[in-house]
Amino acid sequence: MIEKEDPIISEEEAAQYDRQIRLWGLDAQKRLRGSRVLLAGLGGLGAEVAKNLILAGVKGLTLLDHEQVTEESCRAQFLVPVSARGQNRAQASLERAQNLNPMVEVHADPGRVEDKPDDFFLQFDAVCLTGCSRDLMVRVDQLCSQHRIKVFCGDVYGYYGYMFCNLGQEYSYVEEKPKVVKPSGDSSDGSGAKKAKVDPNETTMVKKTASFCTLKEALEVDWTTEKAKAALKKTPVDYFLLHVLLKFRTDKGRDPDPQSSEEDGELLRQIRSDVLDALGLSASLLNDDFISYCFSEMSPVCAVVGGVLGQEVVKALSQRDVPHRNFFFFDGRKGNGMVDYFGPN
Amino acid sequence: MVQLVGSLRKELADSLYTCKVLVVGAGGIGCELLKNLVLTGFKNIEVIDLDTIDVSNLNRQFLFQKKHVGKSKAQVAKESVLQFCPSANITAYHDSIMNPDYNVEFFRKFMLVMNALDNRAARNHVNRMCLAADVPLIESGTAGYLGQVTVIKKGLTECYECQPKPAQKTFPGCTIRNTPSEPIHCIVWAKYLFNQLFGEEDADQEVSPDTADPEAAWNPEEATARASASEKDGDVKRVSTKEWARSTGYDPIKLFNKLFKDDIMYLLTMDKLWKKRKAPTPLDWTQLENKASPQEESPASGLKDQQVLGVWGCCQLFKHSVETLRSELREKGDNAELVWDKDDPAAMDFVTSAANLRMHIFSMNMKSRFDVKSMAGNIIPAIATTNAVIAGLIVLEGLKILSGELESCRTILKERFGMVAPDVQIEDGKGTILISSEEGETEANNSKYLSDFGIRNGSRLQSDDFLQDYTLLINVLHTEELERDVEFEVVGEAPDKAPPPQSNPEEVNSITNGNKDSAQPSTSSKAPADEDDLMIVDSDEEEGAPSSSATVTSGTKRKHSDLDSDKSSTKRPRTDPSAAAGDEDDDIIALD
Repeated sequence: MIEKEDPIISEEEAAQYDRQIRLWGLDAQKRLRGSRVLLAGLGGLGAEVAKNLILAGVKGLTLLDHEQVTEESCRAQFLVPVSARGQNRAQASLERAQNLNPMVEVHADPGRVEDKPDDFFLQFDAVCLTGCSRDLMVRVDQLCSQHRIKVFCGDVYGYYGYMFCNLGQEYSYVEEKPKVVKPSGDSSDGSGAKKAKVDPNETTMVKKTASFCTLKEALEVDWTTEKAKAALKKTPVDYFLLHVLLKFRTDKGRDPDPQSSEEDGELLRQIRSDVLDALGLSASLLNDDFISYCFSEMSPVCAVVGGVLGQEVVKALSQRDVPHRNFFFFDGRKGNGMVDYFGPN
Repeated sequence: MVQLVGSLRKELADSLYTCKVLVVGAGGIGCELLKNLVLTGFKNIEVIDLDTIDVSNLNRQFLFQKKHVGKSKAQVAKESVLQFCPSANITAYHDSIMNPDYNVEFFRKFMLVMNALDNRAARNHVNRMCLAADVPLIESGTAGYLGQVTVIKKGLTECYECQPKPAQKTFPGCTIRNTPSEPIHCIVWAKYLFNQLFGEEDADQEVSPDTADPEAAWNPEEATARASASEKDGDVKRVSTKEWARSTGYDPIKLFNKLFKDDIMYLLTMDKLWKKRKAPTPLDWTQLENKASPQEESPASGLKDQQVLGVWGCCQLFKHSVETLRSELREKGDNAELVWDKDDPAAMDFVTSAANLRMHIFSMNMKSRFDVKSMAGNIIPAIATTNAVIAGLIVLEGLKILSGELESCRTILKERFGMVAPDVQIEDGKGTILISSEEGETEANNSKYLSDFGIRNGSRLQSDDFLQDYTLLINVLHTEELERDVEFEVVGEAPDKAPPPQSNPEEVNSITNGNKDSAQPSTSSKAPADEDDLMIVDSDEEEGAPSSSATVTSGTKRKHSDLDSDKSSTKRPRTDPSAAAGDEDDDIIALD
């Protein structure tokens, strides 16, 4: 799916990407250069992901967003000019996004994710969904993974954020490991002197594979089994918080709004109890504390989650380095980040 | 339900509107930080950076575009931010923070100072200014996939200079001049050579064979004889490398034959050096020229810089770069000096070729210009995402500080005994390890009881600080008589910090371009343990081990040193990546 690698790296690319080529290598950079990515949602998190992928040097990035620019959006992200109120958010973000790196093909699409036909998604190597409803994410994830397209989802709710990925049932990648140098006993010059020393910095690439489940499977873990109940102690509550916030989004068609914090707070409390109840769990698992901290998209949280998510996309496109499997949760109040797996074993 | 302004409680949002903050540095972390600050609602920001924009910055310093190359970072950063947040009140200084204009009064203006620096000198300076002005400082650094954030507050936490930072890596003069064994030794030699020939001559940067090398002498008398002989060596020694080069008109072939043939032959006469080492093989220009195979085709698939040249290729590169540098020198006039710059093509070519020729002579695999540049130029690989994450964490810490929640910040608290990386084992004959300085190794022990480990009244623990010369023997005694909520009490003469270090002079030439500057283990012999000086009295067999779990930040890890992103280090080996996944640490896990 990644376009046939153009072997030539131009001088311009070599100069601009120098510092990252020195980190992840030329092969990885070439793979990035052949990749097309779809990014849905240009809110705070979306803008961060867009910036990170454009700077990394992907071949193309499509910004898909049907929403309009509001006063809130101007505060939330840095790609939209203040004069763009009323315009489509993807189109308003286009110019600044493109200026981040003229070598990337950046497109803006004002459409809705749900209206896109199946084959729309097939032109991409990776799809990244932000601000989408649970059902929509599940559907797109199902479709894409059938076609071996890598799927990423992420959102930020106030101080909290998460990222999910599905890289397919058989994802192959390489991991860089230091080379083990065995000292050789013999020497060709017969003098008994040591052979030429091997540079201690030399590393070798080890091939690995990993298996990922669908978003549907990840969200539909059965907590009523004995095994699950035992695992509950070590389970980050962020997972359940995610369920609550996704339910809010499905029920209200939007995220908690600071303008209606009272009513939304009440609703969140109720949803929390309903969700945990439906999962067969105690409502005390998630106390009321979170409620006043999940409004709006907090910029530093977008930066953290967007940074992690962006880097995961880079890793997956370049098929290099150990991927996070399969969730990353960030709690901005504690400053904690956590990687965990949810899904069938 | 509290009143919210966006994500923040109104009180906090209001304080952001009025407070003044300082960002020191407008590079990788700085750009991300400025963006986060204005989007979070900080209104009054001052930013300072002495640097100008380079094309290699553009892969991550997103406030800059190609058209800005050469301009002031602080200035352009401000302009770019105003584009998406015109109401922000930003003051930009194209200046060094170490300029005396930025005195304590200046620092006192701010409620918060955030470092976004890449060198130790500036960090030390800002650290002291913030202590003097009593302003909280958020220190941070990134390198490759790794990064860290720490809050420094006078009276509450240790400061940036409280812990000794690992010294920059240096190599002994004789290694550089006589017995190199790694590419870096040859690269350092080549940089010295550049200065000796074209730049400012430095007595600590000699390139000729070192006759006073203690290893070269068969017996002590011979060493003394050699040392004094080298001083009396008459005219040849007295003439500096530069003078000699001048006398030949900087003839590349003459230079080549002296450096890579004659000097090597001289080294071979110091036969003791080669008893256990592979001896160097001198090169001869004419021989190489005759043997040279036709120019190999440069493969198109890689970066031109990443190819490794053949020996003759290096010879030619050496010749061309010498000729170019010679004209550069002539253009500058009498007594001119060139300053080495990794981005100056001829200077870089010179070091690449000279270092490689030396590597070849000493039987090392040669390196590409790309790799030589990394080492010679102390290039630290860098990407946007690491900086984005760290800058996000910085702002979150900033919000805690402004909310008055200092205790919840990422800090290194002053520990009772001033240990940095304690390794505690039980003197039970088995050396059972209770606490390990290796992060994560003994986390599981933190919630256990002392009795779980068989620790009773009269048990002894030995605590050895991995990073300092400091060992304590702790006697554990049981008592029923402690106050409520007091878990333990220390009695006896307990030190609160390590004894002063024993001085350990090393004969090294300090160089400013270290390579992998991993934390150096202590080389001095252990100070005698402070035996029987203190006892810990325990109320009952409560939870084990205080102290090390208070260390929240990855302050001084065993495997790699502080991420100062110092320009004296290069790519670090990544350690403990996904092993950390799932850990309940406060450290962010995602950095791979």
